[in-house]
Amino acid sequence: MDLPISQILFYLFALAALVSAFGVVAFRNPVSSAMCMAACFGFVAAIFFGLGAEFLGIVQIMVYAGAVLVLFLFVVMMLDVKKEEKLVVSLPAALVGTCIAAVFAGMITNVSLSLPGATDCCPMAAACETPANVQSNTTPNPSKFGGPLAAPKSGERSDTHILGEMIFTKYNIPFAILSFALLSACVGTVAISRKLRQD
Amino acid sequence: MQFIIDCWNSVMGDPTWFYLITTIAKLALMFILLLLFVVLSVWIERRIAGWIQDRPGPNRTGIPIHLLQRFGSKEKQPLKKWLEYFGVPANSWIAKLCTWLRLDREIPLFGLIQPMADGAKLFLKQEMTPSYVRKGFFIAAPMFVLGPPLIAAAVLPFSSSVDTCYGAINMCVANLNIGVLWIFAFSGLSVYGLTLAGWASNSKFPFIGGLRATAQLISYEVAMGLSIIPLLMMFSTLNLQEIVQNQAENGWTLVPLWGEGLSLQRWVLLLPMCISFLIFVTSVFAEANRTPFDMAECETDLVGGYHTEYSSMKFASFFMGEYVAMVVGSALVITLFLGGWSIGLGADVCLADWAKAAAITGSDQAATCWQSILGCCAGWIVVLLQFVAFIVKLVAFVFFFVWVRWTLPRFRFDQVMKLSWLVFFEIAVINILLTAAILYFIQ
Repeated sequence: MDLPISQILFYLFALAALVSAFGVVAFRNPVSSAMCMAACFGFVAAIFFGLGAEFLGIVQIMVYAGAVLVLFLFVVMMLDVKKEEKLVVSLPAALVGTCIAAVFAGMITNVSLSLPGATDCCPMAAACETPANVQSNTTPNPSKFGGPLAAPKSGERSDTHILGEMIFTKYNIPFAILSFALLSACVGTVAISRKLRQD
Repeated sequence: MQFIIDCWNSVMGDPTWFYLITTIAKLALMFILLLLFVVLSVWIERRIAGWIQDRPGPNRTGIPIHLLQRFGSKEKQPLKKWLEYFGVPANSWIAKLCTWLRLDREIPLFGLIQPMADGAKLFLKQEMTPSYVRKGFFIAAPMFVLGPPLIAAAVLPFSSSVDTCYGAINMCVANLNIGVLWIFAFSGLSVYGLTLAGWASNSKFPFIGGLRATAQLISYEVAMGLSIIPLLMMFSTLNLQEIVQNQAENGWTLVPLWGEGLSLQRWVLLLPMCISFLIFVTSVFAEANRTPFDMAECETDLVGGYHTEYSSMKFASFFMGEYVAMVVGSALVITLFLGGWSIGLGADVCLADWAKAAAITGSDQAATCWQSILGCCAGWIVVLLQFVAFIVKLVAFVFFFVWVRWTLPRFRFDQVMKLSWLVFFEIAVINILLTAAILYFIQ
């Protein structure tokens, strides 16, 4: 069996991401859950890397694992949960939860199946230049590794470039609207959390 | 012999194996370099501290002579015998000098192996894990401090690239297109180590230390990220190797004295670059948890901060992690602002041209023996020179780090936070706008 390394890595990272995502729900200790979430972000970032989306991957680590989750951890530690709560399952809540999760899962499956290259082989191998089945009889090529292992190809535009151009030309207006929404949310948070002075 | 050469040729001729082998070699080199620099910076730290505080510092660590007796030497006073052998009288100035240098008691190494002695001490100490800690996180925390800076170093270019007959080797472990962000992302992860250490220790002072570390590191990460945006706008790439290459050709960011660096635009851009440099260097100090920003561990109010409950090698891991972070931070500063491996004054371009010309004359049929040898080695000589330039700059910047530590007093915590959010953040944002204006209006 000829498995290209990108395919092995993809399944490895995907499995690890799923396991750590399960850990977020399974652990009763909030700090363990938060750390599992960090690990999950890391593995998803690794998959991004394998797909050649280096910028997205590193931003995932920098923003989510490096900043957002640290703030989570900060808050969770401050809470000082003395007695970790026992899991209480009520049937209606579980049913509603399952339904919502099923709908969401169906939606994601539908979207990912309609993506280009979703069905023929694993996406990380598809992101590499040549398909895996052609490579076995030709000389192996460093670009087979894909992502961070690949030797940088000269003259090719990086995904940072492509992403930046997309955001600031085609999707400029939605981007600006989103920024303003975030800004107003920030201002709102500060306004709510600040105590008014009584003088 | 011929078999080995054939084997080598066939393995290195395969691009995949060539890539793997060179990458692993570079990886090992970078790792050894970093760990050696940790040792070196500990030594620099202690000697400079002594120098600044007008005391000798650790200058005595040597190999004691009585160790020789342990290993079977019958000689009680080797110095006396040596002096007799060379016919030097026992009360002459040479004998006095030798005694003053403690040659009668030890083989002097001028304190150079002091870090080794420190390490041995930490190894031999009792490993204590208090009963009240949260064990898993307590053990994991030092790994989170030591690991991320080592990973972050992967994208640092320590030399330019060299052409071998099997292909080009780029002298940085991973030549990523997002090098700068890679370092930020991974050095940001070490905050987990500090936070978890503080929390898992389950005692008061480590917890406060951990909280302080979290707040400080997150704040300064923002300032650090914003401060280098002007630089990235100027170079319009995130690839560290390309940034250094550009500086080698067109003048370092702070010293634009050759190539295109002499243009009006670059000289006007010096103002935002200097602002960036100040903010960035200060943030690197804060990120490395060094004085004047060692809020997380200031022993006057927090005993030892987040590592109060740690002992032996777990403590040593924190210690090493901090020094690796310091070395990686210094390397990033010199890579972004002071030309990285570039020798400067346009010498890099000349050297590259010379290497190319030597390779061409060397491969010629009419070339003499020396010319062909030179043709093979020229690329490596250039790379080696650049590597030396990188190391020299790195040592100089580590010296600067230590110098600042023993010169400035520690800030108060509220001052640290104010500096980040009320001073650096605003200045960095204005700096970005200023750079954009300069790039747009002055061509």
